[in-house]
Amino acid sequence: MKREFKVVGKNIHRVDAFKKVTGRAIYPEDIFMENMAYGKTLRSTIAHGYVSLDTREAEKIDGVLGIFTYKDVPNNRYGVVYKDQEVFVSKKVKRVGDPLAFVVAENEKLCDLALEKIKVYYEEIEGVFDPVEAMEEDAPKVHGKSNILYHFKIRKGDVEEGFRRSHVIVENTYKTHMVDHAFLQPEAGIGYIDEEGRVAVIVSTQYPHYDMEEIASTLNIPIDQVRVINAYVGGAFGGREDISLQIHLALAAKVLKRPVKTIYSREESFLAHSKRHAMVMRYKTGADKEGNLLAMETVIIGDTGAYASWGENVMRKAGVHATGPYYIPNVKVDSYAVYTNNPFAGAVRGFGATQVPVAYEQQMDALAVKLGMDPVTIRMKNIFKVGSETATGQILTEGVPLEECLSKLVEAMGYPYGKEAYR
Amino acid sequence: MINIKLNVNGKDYSLEIEEDKRLIDVLREDLRFTGVKEGCSEGECGACSVIMDGRIVNSCLVMAVQANGSSIVTVEGLVKDGELDPVQRAFIEKGATQCGYCTPGFIMAARAFLNRAKDPTREEIREAISGNLCRCTGYNKIVDAIEEAYRYEKGI
Ligand code: FES
Ligand code: FES
Repeated sequence: MKREFKVVGKNIHRVDAFKKVTGRAIYPEDIFMENMAYGKTLRSTIAHGYVSLDTREAEKIDGVLGIFTYKDVPNNRYGVVYKDQEVFVSKKVKRVGDPLAFVVAENEKLCDLALEKIKVYYEEIEGVFDPVEAMEEDAPKVHGKSNILYHFKIRKGDVEEGFRRSHVIVENTYKTHMVDHAFLQPEAGIGYIDEEGRVAVIVSTQYPHYDMEEIASTLNIPIDQVRVINAYVGGAFGGREDISLQIHLALAAKVLKRPVKTIYSREESFLAHSKRHAMVMRYKTGADKEGNLLAMETVIIGDTGAYASWGENVMRKAGVHATGPYYIPNVKVDSYAVYTNNPFAGAVRGFGATQVPVAYEQQMDALAVKLGMDPVTIRMKNIFKVGSETATGQILTEGVPLEECLSKLVEAMGYPYGKEAYR
Repeated sequence: MINIKLNVNGKDYSLEIEEDKRLIDVLREDLRFTGVKEGCSEGECGACSVIMDGRIVNSCLVMAVQANGSSIVTVEGLVKDGELDPVQRAFIEKGATQCGYCTPGFIMAARAFLNRAKDPTREEIREAISGNLCRCTGYNKIVDAIEEAYRYEKGI
């Protein structure tokens, strides 16, 4: 009997669709407040080095209301997992695009003029841009004594034994590149003092309660004196899970007691937010004559860039997903998040689970070729089913329709599964 | 400062503006038609698309003085007597809007296209929206919506 549902199987209109198709959905840049000033960010143009600023000339420009630097921030450190980011760089620049100062003026043109007039002095030092090199003892250090932010391990069974018993072994290194979310609405926001005297920021964010905490802690004010109002969000995909302009706007509004608006250009948006982790994945996988997987060993190195952001969580997820949807009795996984002077990497759709298939699926194909087997057969043999045990020891007790999914896919493709036709 | 005249969404405006303003700045800042969105400022994304004298243009690439004397339609101008334009209705019906930031631009491109289209193929619809980027939907539902809007208009 076919069940009737109220929602499932029905065409439901988005609650916000009407506003979106009529242009009435309000994103932060669409808000204009009385007596509103504008703010723009000065960012580093080098990736690694010491910096100092001379803002005196810029401050003299008529219509420039304030130039904020690290000296104006009571607690300059923040970060979504580790507090390794600075609201404004105090000494050492760690990537291109690090915020150095925030200029507030009567209009955007005056902000640009002031940015030009700030003198920036750099003393460049050697940087590190390759996560594998960054792991070496003598590599330049981005923070503290080691560039290794995080190391995740899985040890299951005995991989050496598994490889000894394997009939075929394939060993390959795979690399994926950095990716930007490129959400369509560049970051924008407006900071002001609300009717109860609290610092308020209207912003498009994925994480308003976290934004509140960071504003309260960096400005050293009670959290009940901070409001973050989420406007419409023009795409995010993980790219709005870190701070961008929230603290700058809160600080400026608090000090100047005026509404301050900031809109990033597309270029600044690219500089400001996180990226997808570029990964280097070394894989060794072994199977018996029939194509049953016996062992897999992998080292996955993620370029987390200049700041931790969600790097630890992303690289943990990459490690947890390292076998793919395949049962392997002997598994050894080491995944790392490594600091470099590249743009910082963080949350992006898939959160670390997106990169590893590039490696584990090509390993399956490579094994199939070596065994003279077709790529569907080898997958069917090893794919997770109800009752399978994952590399982390989880027994999958329900909801594992992978065989069915793969069969349907093969059927839809008209793929001659199991036949000699594949070559 | 310079004087320009614009007709926007059926209403005449006479404005004194700075010479270096773009059409998008006048529409958004001076006239507050904030349905016009800015995604790239260089003619790539189409979020700023408006209809200018019957033609679709990127309002980030048109200087305000170049628009002097012209008639502009923005997404706000499509609602007539409280009634949505068929394109707007179809975008709701087909789930063609997600974050919504690209939506006004796509709707204007679709409107300009359908003003002239005869039995458009999906290929022609894709061509018509090739100046617009959407990072959320994957485009298929947008094409579905434009086909649907054509059917609404023809009563088929
Ligand atoms: S803002 Fe005009 S095309 Fe992107
Ligand atoms: S709906 Fe988000 S960019 Fe198109």
